[in-house]
Amino acid sequence: MKKTKRFAALALSTVLAMTVLLTACSSNEESPANKNGTNKTEEGEQITLKFSFWGATIEKKTVTEALERFEKKTGINVEPMHIPADYITKLTTMVAGNVAPDLGYMTSGSGLSWAEDGKLLNLSPLMEKDPDFKKEDYLDQVWYETEPGNIIGMSISVQGYGLMYNKDMLLEAGVELPPTEADKAWDWDTFIEYAKKLTLDDKGRNALDPEFNPDKIKQFGFQYDPYNMMAAVVSNGGNFLTEDGTGFGLAQPEGIEAIQKLADLMYVHHVSPTPLQTKSLPDMALQTKKVAMTVSGNWALQAFAEQEFNLGVGVLPKLKESNTLLDGAPMVIFSSTKHPEEAWLLYKYMADPEQVLPLIEGGLWMPLKKDWYTDPELINKWAAGNKAHPEGYTDAFMKQTLENGVRTPGFEVKNLAKINALVTPALDLVWTGKQTAEEALKGIEPKVQPLIQGYYGR
Amino acid sequence: MAAAGILFALPSILGLTLFTILPMLTSLILSFTDYRTVNTPKFIGFDNYTRLFDGTDPYFYNSLWVTFKYVILRVPLGLVFSFVAAFLLNLDFIRGKSIFRTIFYLPVIVPAVASSMIWIWLFSPDLGLFNSFLEALHIPTLNWLYSEKTVVPSIVIMSLWAMGSTIIIFLAGLQGVPRSLYEAAIVDGAGALRKFFNITIPMMTPIIFFNLIMGSIGAFQVFTEALIMTQGGPNNASLFYNYYIYREAFQFGEMGHASAIAWILFMIILIVTAIFFRTSKSWVFYESEV
Repeated sequence: MKKTKRFAALALSTVLAMTVLLTACSSNEESPANKNGTNKTEEGEQITLKFSFWGATIEKKTVTEALERFEKKTGINVEPMHIPADYITKLTTMVAGNVAPDLGYMTSGSGLSWAEDGKLLNLSPLMEKDPDFKKEDYLDQVWYETEPGNIIGMSISVQGYGLMYNKDMLLEAGVELPPTEADKAWDWDTFIEYAKKLTLDDKGRNALDPEFNPDKIKQFGFQYDPYNMMAAVVSNGGNFLTEDGTGFGLAQPEGIEAIQKLADLMYVHHVSPTPLQTKSLPDMALQTKKVAMTVSGNWALQAFAEQEFNLGVGVLPKLKESNTLLDGAPMVIFSSTKHPEEAWLLYKYMADPEQVLPLIEGGLWMPLKKDWYTDPELINKWAAGNKAHPEGYTDAFMKQTLENGVRTPGFEVKNLAKINALVTPALDLVWTGKQTAEEALKGIEPKVQPLIQGYYGR
Repeated sequence: MAAAGILFALPSILGLTLFTILPMLTSLILSFTDYRTVNTPKFIGFDNYTRLFDGTDPYFYNSLWVTFKYVILRVPLGLVFSFVAAFLLNLDFIRGKSIFRTIFYLPVIVPAVASSMIWIWLFSPDLGLFNSFLEALHIPTLNWLYSEKTVVPSIVIMSLWAMGSTIIIFLAGLQGVPRSLYEAAIVDGAGALRKFFNITIPMMTPIIFFNLIMGSIGAFQVFTEALIMTQGGPNNASLFYNYYIYREAFQFGEMGHASAIAWILFMIILIVTAIFFRTSKSWVFYESEV
C-alpha cells in the first residue's frame, strides 16, 4: 500500500514537472518582449522588429536587403520572416498564439477583417505625428481603411493590369500592335477579330477561316486567367458590388455581359484556351508561341523580362470604357507590437520606392509615390529603358493605372472571402462552358445577398 | 503494482491528455462560441450548429453528401480490392511474392502529397496516362479531376492504389487460417470455391471487420487529396468534410464554426462505428468464442 502511494506521488510529481516545464516554455516567449517594451527608452536596449512577407526568390532577396540597410541606418534589428506558402494560415496561428510579427505583408480580406477585430494598428496617429511624412505624397488609391480615419496601411505595391504580348507573333500575323493610349484602345469586336487572326489550328488556319478546326488549336490568340475577370467587368461599367454596396454587382446586366463575353472567347470565338486547355499550356506560353496575347498584372513583367522574346505591352481592349484594375495587398503594423514608432519607421522605409528599387525596376512592383509617376527623372529610374518595361509602358500601364485604375474588390468589399467562396465555383461553371454567366450568377445571387455587407472605408 | 503500470503508461496518458483530450474539450467549448481566431471567443449557444442544419451555411449538406459518396465507394471497393490482392499474394503457386508485396506496399511509404502530385499528371485530361490509354482503345476520354461527375471516383481510384497496409493485414490474416481446416475440407471433397466461401471468408471475418472499421474512419477523414489536387473543386464537388473544416478554420478563420463542424463529424463516425459493431455479432466469427 505504502509502495503504491509512493508510486502515485512519483507519477503526480512527474505530471506536475511536465506541466511546469510546458508552461515555462510558453511564458518564456513573452518575457523578453515585455522587458523590451518597458525598457525601450533605456540606452543600449536592443529593439528587434519582426517583418513577415511572402514572395519568390527575387522579392525575398530585395526585401531582405532593404531590411538589412534599414538595420544599418537605424540600429534597429529586423528579423525577416519569409513565408512562401500558406501565409494567412501561418499568420493566423501566430496572431492567435500572441506571437504576431510587428509588421508585414497581409492579404486584403483578412487584413481588413482583422483590423475590425483590433489586431492591426491604425496608422493615422503615427502619420500625423510624423513631420517627415506626407500622406499626399502617396497615391490616393493605395490606402486601406476599415472606416474613414482608421487606416491600416498602404498596399505593398501598386499593380496595374494591361495587355502583354509577343510582338513577333503579331507582326508575323500582320496584326496591328495593341494601342498603348486609353482613347485609342481596341473595342471588343476589333479585339476579337485580331485575336482570331492570331489563333491557329494544326493545319495553320486561323480562326477567321471557315475550315478552322477548334478542336486542334496549336496557338491561341489570347489567354486570360479567370482571376482577372474583374478587368472586363469594370470596363463594362460594372463592379463586384453595386455602387451603393447593397447588391451583388456581378449579377447586374453589366457584370453578366462582361463575364459572358469572356466565356465566349473560349466557347464561341475559340481564341482563348479553356481551363482544361490551359492546364496543358506551358508557363512560358508567350515565349514558346503557344499564346500571342495575355492579360496580367504588372508583376508578370518580371517573369517575362527573364524570357527570350520580344515583349510588348498595351492597354486592355475595352467593352464600354477604357480602364484597368488597380490591385494590391496591404502592408500593416500589428497592434500587438511593443514598438509602434520603430515599426512605423520601417513601414515608411519599405514604402519608399528608392529602397525597393530592384523590385520596381525589375517589373514586379509599381511605386507608391505620386512623383514617381510624374517626374521624368524618377520615371526613367524604373518605367523606361529596361527589359521589364518595354516601349509604351509609361502610357499603357503607368498612366492608365494612375488615371483609370479601378480598385479591385479586395481594397474595399466586406466579407469578400465568404462571397468568393460562392462566386468562384459558380464562375467555374461558366469558364468550363456548363452554364451561361446569367444562369450561374443569378443562381447564386440569393445566396450571396445575405453575405453582402457593403464597403469598407465609406 | 497498479501504480507502476500507470507510471509506465504515463507517457501515453500524458500525450493523450495534453494533445488529444484537452484540445477536444477545448474545441467542444469553442463550438458554442463565435471565435474567429483573432477575437475573444463569445458564447453564442447552439448558433454554430443551427447555422449548419438550417442550411444557412451553403456547404454543409453538399460536403456531407460528397463525403458519403466517397465513403460508400471507397470502403467496399477498398475491401474487395485489397482482399483479392492479398488472396492472390497468398496463393502457393505465385512466384516472386516478395516483389509483389513490395510493389503493393510501396505507395504507402510515398507521402500523400507526393503521390497526389503524380496522380494529377496521370489524371491530366490532355497529357495524362489514363486518357492516352483510353484514346488508344478508342474509348471517349474523361476529365477525371476536372469534372463534377468523375472527381470523387477518380480520388477513389487513387486511394485504392495506396491500399498496401490493408493488404498486409489481410495477408497476415490469410496466413493465420489453420491449414488443418483446408486439409479436412479437401478430405471431405470440397472444391476451391467451397473452401473459399466456407473456410477462408468466415475465418477472415474479424479481419474484414477490423479493416471495415478502420477503412470507414479513414475514408470519412479524406483530406490531402482535396487539398493538393482539387481544392474542393470543381464547383465544390470534392469539398470533403475534412477539407471543409480546414477551409472554415484556416482560410476563413471561423474556428468556432469549424469546431462545430468537426464535432458533427466525430458524432457521425461514432454512430457509424457503433452500427458496425452492433451488426458485427451476426456476421463476425471469432474462433475463441466457439
